[in-house]
Amino acid sequence: MTQFQRFLAKRLAISVLLTLVAVSVIFVVLRLLPGSPFEALVTSGNLNQQQINEIRSMYGLNQPLWQQYVSYMGSILTFEFGYSILRSQPVWSVLEPRLVNTLILLVPALVTTAVLSSSLGMYVGWNRGSFLEKFSIISTTFLRSTPVFITGIFFIIVFAYNLELVPAFGMRSVTASPEGYAETFLSVDFAYHYVLPFTVAVLYYSGDFLLLARNGVVEKRGSEFLKLHRAKGLSEMQQLARAGRNSMLPILTYFALRLGMIFQGLILLEVVFGWPGIGRELVLAIQQQDYPLVQAAVFIMALAVIIANLAADVLYAYFDPTVSTNGSGSA
Amino acid sequence: MSTETKPKAELYKRVDRIQSLVRDQFAFLRQDRLAFAGVLVVGAFVFTGVFGPLLAPHDPIEYTVRDQAGSILRLSGPTGAAVLGTTAYGKDVLSQFLAGARPTLIVGLFGGLGTGAIGFLVGLVSGYYGGWVDEVLMRLTDLTFSLPFMPMALLLLTFVTPNIWLMTAIIAGFLWKMPARVVRSEVLSVRERTFVKSARASGASDFRTMFYHVGPNVLPIGFLYTAYGVAWAIAAQASLAFLGFGDPTMTSWGRMLRQVFESGNMRIAWWWVFPPAIGIAAVTTSVFLIGRAYEEVINPEIQTDQ
Repeated sequence: MTQFQRFLAKRLAISVLLTLVAVSVIFVVLRLLPGSPFEALVTSGNLNQQQINEIRSMYGLNQPLWQQYVSYMGSILTFEFGYSILRSQPVWSVLEPRLVNTLILLVPALVTTAVLSSSLGMYVGWNRGSFLEKFSIISTTFLRSTPVFITGIFFIIVFAYNLELVPAFGMRSVTASPEGYAETFLSVDFAYHYVLPFTVAVLYYSGDFLLLARNGVVEKRGSEFLKLHRAKGLSEMQQLARAGRNSMLPILTYFALRLGMIFQGLILLEVVFGWPGIGRELVLAIQQQDYPLVQAAVFIMALAVIIANLAADVLYAYFDPTVSTNGSGSA
Repeated sequence: MSTETKPKAELYKRVDRIQSLVRDQFAFLRQDRLAFAGVLVVGAFVFTGVFGPLLAPHDPIEYTVRDQAGSILRLSGPTGAAVLGTTAYGKDVLSQFLAGARPTLIVGLFGGLGTGAIGFLVGLVSGYYGGWVDEVLMRLTDLTFSLPFMPMALLLLTFVTPNIWLMTAIIAGFLWKMPARVVRSEVLSVRERTFVKSARASGASDFRTMFYHVGPNVLPIGFLYTAYGVAWAIAAQASLAFLGFGDPTMTSWGRMLRQVFESGNMRIAWWWVFPPAIGIAAVTTSVFLIGRAYEEVINPEIQTDQ
């Protein structure tokens, strides 16, 4: 095995272990805290004791805890999520369309902002002290530090309520009843609903990319290899392109991390805009104590982050020769 | 350390030192106009957080604004009776705004301090000892990274009645990972420096070396992340309250926004939306602007010639 392979094997093992621990934590939080998903049904008086027992045994809640744990681990790690308690549908058929809605909103937003804000960041880092630098830093500081639902509320008030350019709520008009993904997402009505949350998401993500790119270029600006390029007679823009290329790595890994976190959705953005994504669904499921749905959703979110983390680490180790691949990969 | 022999003189010296430290920081922040504006906003926020409930003209929850005829004044714009208008339930927006600053301040301050303190200690211990201690602590931070913060916080808050101290604990319990990683990587470079090695060689214990020799050198970055922690905690608290998982007995800015959103009055009642929304946005932005001014100084890698 080469050193890189050994590093890869170690990181893989850690990721698998992390997944197991994370899944166990979810189990513990859900089962050991007081409150039962059926309490709501019982107190509403719709069920008698026998029916409760039947449902409990159907969901395996009458078994000892360790047996529940074993069967839970077995099913969740094979992506068998079971039935949603309140929707009486397989959990996956509830979650899948919601997850798709979230990804269709956030992946394009993330890609857009990664390209635009990083380029802008490199440009202002090169022209340090310019008005554009100050302005872009203040505005992105505001956008990334303010909770996303507040930015969303400002945008709704301006563009939906006062200018009345776009609708404020939902993903499709109430009357629209499209069949299948293609029909849902390829329509003018959808585009109308899409613009505002998409813009807010782009702006919300922009700050970190802009600062990463700017700091990267600022760091490189005084370095020897750029002096050489200047001596060779390259133009300012050509020099910037080379400085920028050398500060791509943190941006790339940050992009991978963000991509993993996208599976959580932007809960608050989805709530404010009434976007039927996975984050909003999770909030609803938590409020209604729909355990199977909650544990499946949180599991998907955790898994995505773990995989993205792994990808980021491997990217870094692969591209950056100064990161040691033996030991802990610390730098 | 000769505090026992001349306690008074030593005390004066310390007070002097603190005074000049404060004066230096103030002078530094004056140079950066943005950071200075941030300081003013944060100052006003702390003032409102401490004295707001006393300044509020009415009780934010109990008191109902009425017009001359005695009927409840619902959703009225700013008038003489209610300077910032009223809510859909006839409550005074100004009073709610002033009283709502306190929970925001408490969670922000203690959540931030907790985040900074835990993260600093974990990073220091992890980086200083290395080996299996480092491995265990860093895998623990990986775990908190992989468990999504917002969903886990929501879950924990459904099982227990939320109160602000619990929220503070949950927020700090999830956010410490950020400073921990940064502090650790700073410690890794500091511990290789000569003065640390000579302290070890002259017989200083691990504990002493860690806190007296390594600690102070990574303290600035710890403070920086404590400040960011404050902003994160304020944002997290507002977000949780907005989703309806806040302390039900207290008015906070996030809860005000939830009420206006839930009651469906966002379209008309701008006087009800703007005070809490602008309040939160201004405070979090200001904290970041102050932090950024320090970051330019602390982070050695972006200190090239201007």
